[in-house]
Amino acid sequence: MEAPSIAAGCDVSTGRRLRKRGPRQGVRWGRFLLIATALAFLAAFLLLPLLVVFAQALSKGAGVYLSAVSDPMAWAAIKLTLMVAAIAVPMNLVFGVVSAWAITKFQFRGKSALISLIDLPFAVSPVIAGLTYILLFGAHGWFGAYLQEHDIRIVFAVPGIVLATLFVTFPFVARELIPVMQAQGKDDEETALSLGAGGWQVFWHVTLPNIRWGLLYGVLLCNARAMGEFGAVSVVSGHIRGLTNTMPLHVEILYNEYNYAAAFAVASLLALLALLTLAGKSLLEWRQPELRHTVHLARATTGKQA
Amino acid sequence: MSITLRGVSKKFGAFAAVDDVDLEIPTGALLALLGPSGCGKTTVLRIIAGLETPETGQVLFDGRDATLWPIRERKVGFVFQNYALFRHMSVFENVAFGLKVKGRRERPAAGAIRNKVQSLLELVQLDWAGDRYPTQLSGGQKQRVALARALAVDPEVLLLDEPFGALDAQVRHELRRWLRRLHTELKFTSIFVTHDQQEAIEVADTIVVLNRGRVEQTGVPGDVYDLPRSAYVHRFLGQVNELRVKWHDGRAHLGPIDITGDPALDAYGSDRIALVRPHEIDIGSESNGWPAIVRDVRVIGPIVRLELCADGRPANEPLEAEISRERFDMDRFHIGQKVGVRFRRWQVYPAAALGIGRAVRG
Repeated sequence: MEAPSIAAGCDVSTGRRLRKRGPRQGVRWGRFLLIATALAFLAAFLLLPLLVVFAQALSKGAGVYLSAVSDPMAWAAIKLTLMVAAIAVPMNLVFGVVSAWAITKFQFRGKSALISLIDLPFAVSPVIAGLTYILLFGAHGWFGAYLQEHDIRIVFAVPGIVLATLFVTFPFVARELIPVMQAQGKDDEETALSLGAGGWQVFWHVTLPNIRWGLLYGVLLCNARAMGEFGAVSVVSGHIRGLTNTMPLHVEILYNEYNYAAAFAVASLLALLALLTLAGKSLLEWRQPELRHTVHLARATTGKQA
Repeated sequence: MSITLRGVSKKFGAFAAVDDVDLEIPTGALLALLGPSGCGKTTVLRIIAGLETPETGQVLFDGRDATLWPIRERKVGFVFQNYALFRHMSVFENVAFGLKVKGRRERPAAGAIRNKVQSLLELVQLDWAGDRYPTQLSGGQKQRVALARALAVDPEVLLLDEPFGALDAQVRHELRRWLRRLHTELKFTSIFVTHDQQEAIEVADTIVVLNRGRVEQTGVPGDVYDLPRSAYVHRFLGQVNELRVKWHDGRAHLGPIDITGDPALDAYGSDRIALVRPHEIDIGSESNGWPAIVRDVRVIGPIVRLELCADGRPANEPLEAEISRERFDMDRFHIGQKVGVRFRRWQVYPAAALGIGRAVRG
């Protein structure tokens, strides 16, 4: 695999390769430096904050931690967060698969416009997203009068939180799937069709297995963001304790009340949820090594031979 | 099943991939669509499969208009260039796929499926590989799995897109012979796409040469090779030497060889190019024919290929000649030797048909 450099030559009499020390040594140092930089960065910006969260959470002892976590208001926040994620993630999963399918398998007018639209939530600040919902559904918003007449509450209630979360987590699944599906092309699907499979069978038996890892990554990212979203949710929630407070909002309230240990205790729960999803993913990969092999293939181009 | 294409055209944007193609493919034919990349051969294949819809024209299956039939109702087996095996399924599951997705009423019982898959795997000599996954197979093995999978649903037409493109020479040669045998045994209609003239000649009964979306010539391999109807076909099938026709004193010459009277020459002074295949060149003593110097000699098994620098031709455009080993053993030509060149056959085309000023191909 090593490309012969010009500096290295061949000793014709012995056939032995002559090698200069310099460049080889340089490569080794370069590799060490790159790895060290990456590890130092990870430690400083990811591992350390995570440790601080748990250290702070337990700083006043396990009793304070447990009471902060089992507080009814905290429980309400946890339940609301899980419920919002349970609604937003499946909806965006369906949307992500449908739009990635449409974009990668078909040619149609307005395709690039659709791709830009999917990216919109990344480009727009979540706070603005929240404000647009206030503008639409708030008491003085476009649909405000109609909603009040029919006694439907969206803003400062759970539906508003779900809507804001949906908007913010919109792109994750689609963005993850589009490159995977583009690399795979249409050959597998067309083969399945020629073998007599129907559209739904093609999706279920061919497309879905091919994209499942991309899909899982997308869902994990989507879920992490759905549980952790602060900006957009903060605007539409109204911060009603026990009713419209999600975990991130609850953490902020506790923090603003100088209740650090409790704030970090709830924060550590959020972090734990994130770690659990990651562990779940690793477990899946570990249980099915054959599949782990295929995801790398799927991510490389399909035309190459293994 | 016989297949007929009538005036089929297909555009991608402004690019006419297939342009008014007529084809008649009888039942049981083994037909090659031959041409360089971008000539529309794959698009023709995909139109027959139902993977593309033509803008104009008709596709007939056994005389019935199948232009708008969906692919799953056409009873065609399609094998992709990169095999398109389902990576997450074992070899057995890949081959069984077409049987398992059938509706409940048509679907064979599990035991019948198992037997059928097993016999197909035996047919492609992979009965030991049922539990393997595609990533564990070599290119040639993957190709055979793809074939077995296509055959599982009893197609009446087998369509193959560059079936041997990604394989090394030895495996390719074996698979070609194997495909021929399979075709003779199972008697379905087969159409394959290739850019390799050797492959088309070796495997097919009928060759269709395509150029820029149009059919250039159709015929049995020997005819297309020996009687090319255009310079394009002549040059695409096999090697050629290109020689500009020179006019002086009212006569036409290739070097010193007088070819006046050739019916394709047209009026005096017209710009013509003659194509001569390497094996149509005779080499003799220096006094006999066009004087030339041997520049290179390559013994390739039964044939010997010589590079000849002919008098008056630029040094970077040598003539390429092929003679039999027996002929070579008689005279033992060597590099630097002075010889005389004669042409047993040549064919004259208007220079415009070849693109004037092109360098001679080796």
